[in-house]
Amino acid sequence: MSIMGKFKETIICLKAGRVTLPYPAQPQIAPPTFRGRPIFDAAKCIGCAGCANNCPAREILVFDPCQEVRILKYLGRRCTYCGRCADVCPEKAITMSKDFETGTGSIGDLQQQLELFMSTCQRCGRCFKKPSVLEQLKMTGYRLDDLRDERWIFRSQSYLEGEPLVDDIRIELD
Amino acid sequence: MLKNLCKKMFARSLWVYHANSGGCNGCDIEVLNVLTPYYDVERFGIKLVGSPRHADVMLCQGPAMRSTVKALQRAYEAMPAPKLVFAIGSCACGGGIWFDTYSVLGPVEKAIPVDFYIPGCPPRPEAIVYGVAAAVGLVDKKTAPVQIKQLELPIPRYHPGDLRGEGELVVYEKVEKI
Amino acid sequence: MDTIAMIPGGLINTVTVLIVAPFFHGVLRKITARIQSRQGPPIWQPYFDLLKLLGKEDIESGESPRTQRFAVYLSLATLLTMACLVPMELSEPSNFAGDSILLIYLLTLCSICTLLAGLAAGSAYSLVGISREMMTIIALEPLFAIAIVVGAIHAQSFRMDVVLNGSVYLTKGFPWSGLVMVAVMLLSFQAFVQRLPFDITEAETEIMEGPLVEYSGPKLAVFKYAQMVKLVIYSAIFVALFVPWDLGLTFPWKWLLFWLKVFILVLLVTLVAATHARYRIDQAIRYFAGLMVAAVVALALASYGY
Repeated sequence: MSIMGKFKETIICLKAGRVTLPYPAQPQIAPPTFRGRPIFDAAKCIGCAGCANNCPAREILVFDPCQEVRILKYLGRRCTYCGRCADVCPEKAITMSKDFETGTGSIGDLQQQLELFMSTCQRCGRCFKKPSVLEQLKMTGYRLDDLRDERWIFRSQSYLEGEPLVDDIRIELD
Repeated sequence: MLKNLCKKMFARSLWVYHANSGGCNGCDIEVLNVLTPYYDVERFGIKLVGSPRHADVMLCQGPAMRSTVKALQRAYEAMPAPKLVFAIGSCACGGGIWFDTYSVLGPVEKAIPVDFYIPGCPPRPEAIVYGVAAAVGLVDKKTAPVQIKQLELPIPRYHPGDLRGEGELVVYEKVEKI
Repeated sequence: MDTIAMIPGGLINTVTVLIVAPFFHGVLRKITARIQSRQGPPIWQPYFDLLKLLGKEDIESGESPRTQRFAVYLSLATLLTMACLVPMELSEPSNFAGDSILLIYLLTLCSICTLLAGLAAGSAYSLVGISREMMTIIALEPLFAIAIVVGAIHAQSFRMDVVLNGSVYLTKGFPWSGLVMVAVMLLSFQAFVQRLPFDITEAETEIMEGPLVEYSGPKLAVFKYAQMVKLVIYSAIFVALFVPWDLGLTFPWKWLLFWLKVFILVLLVTLVAATHARYRIDQAIRYFAGLMVAAVVALALASYGY
């Protein structure tokens, strides 16, 4: 706490010069193991929905409008950039890019939607086998990665049960 | 005329209030990094203030939880107009991994209106600086929605009736193209 | 001592102080940033800050909004009155009755405005802030009063143009009391202008900006302006009291030399503020008590003619 100590401190800091990165003026490159925004390649994707199954934040949603078309939608809102989708994909159609400059005014800017034609089975000519009655029960309504339930995805399970758990706070319900 | 000058000065000196409504503090630490000499954000005039009444921008981090949503709304109402809200991190933008747990109500925009989103888990300090610069208008944003439709037709279609052969060797007699 | 020539002098003083105060504050921030190895805000940043705050909505909240308004405008008003009174090498200051005592009174009133502001807000943070400010005022204002009284004792008069002209050095022999007072004032100057290591009331990280918690928009702009002007006014009084030698220069250069001396003092304040940590309130009070003993010794020496 002596005066000489303070002078030495000042001189050390001044000798360090200016350590500020000139960031917006010069672009900054991420380190090689950085996981940025995932990019979906529609040419390689076979539509297996393994990524949707594996996503811990239920960020990739799946919808089959008809027998041969499958829609995969990556919402980009709650993605934690964990990279599990890229790990699981059998065709390596997902790459975790180095892109981190993703600030935006409307969150829909980050979504990627793929509409894929699925190839048919060689024997029966269908894309998926017709599910048995038990499997039909399992699949409708309770699949959390169903695209038709996208607007429900942002609520906690308390809303799905039909009654709002918090009455004193003004939250917009659907 | 003074009003126009004041409006123009808004972008040059943003005072920031940091509100964490239940996150894991990862984005807190990245916001703190932005205020250090390495990524120095004070050169744009941005200063951290301790009271929402002094602030222009509220940096929200963490999802809106049942216990903190009232506090978030009170802090938002305490800020004087004109005000901006930035949602930092994937928890504040969309609920994060915790979107379906018992005490999380959802993203921050369930409680207060959000103007700008900076996703990431946690977002890099450069990403936060970029987001703030894009919000103020210094740079353009770099993302846009992507929609890809596979229009690769014809798809080869196979009928079971055209299969010939048994066992290992199965041959198609005729291929009908659509 | 023309009464007519006094008025433009006072006005030019006030306008100069108003224009220059944010500039000095900007220099302070820039130099603090450079010492911390980073590129700081541009020098004109406080002007931008004040203009932006003027454009914001004014939310009147807290226990008593009328006292809030009163406290804000009173603080800037007292500082600008002092700007009219303190001689800044431009013209003779106004010499009506009770001159230096009026200066001491105005200085204390300016600190009391912070107390009023904190009381008007009524939140827990502001009450803690003003209790610390009260303790600081009780320990600090006597130091300044003793400095002026020592000068008055040596100059045998309370008139401002005589006292604020280096009167502490006017002894017959070696000016012991003057030197002791210079040392005491230099050591406690940081506390008067509310900078580190003594900015206990404005402790941002500890009590959320203390008394200013409930202010927003234009009132906050006036308060911040008052703080910037305080730095300039106190430096001006210090220079006028202790470093008044003008090397025999004529009018414009005398004025520029005065402001150069004030600038050097601001630089000194910046250097000390950038390299120190904040003192706790009890450590600070103990420090001021030690300085008070030295000041009383100087007063005793002065009354004996040393």
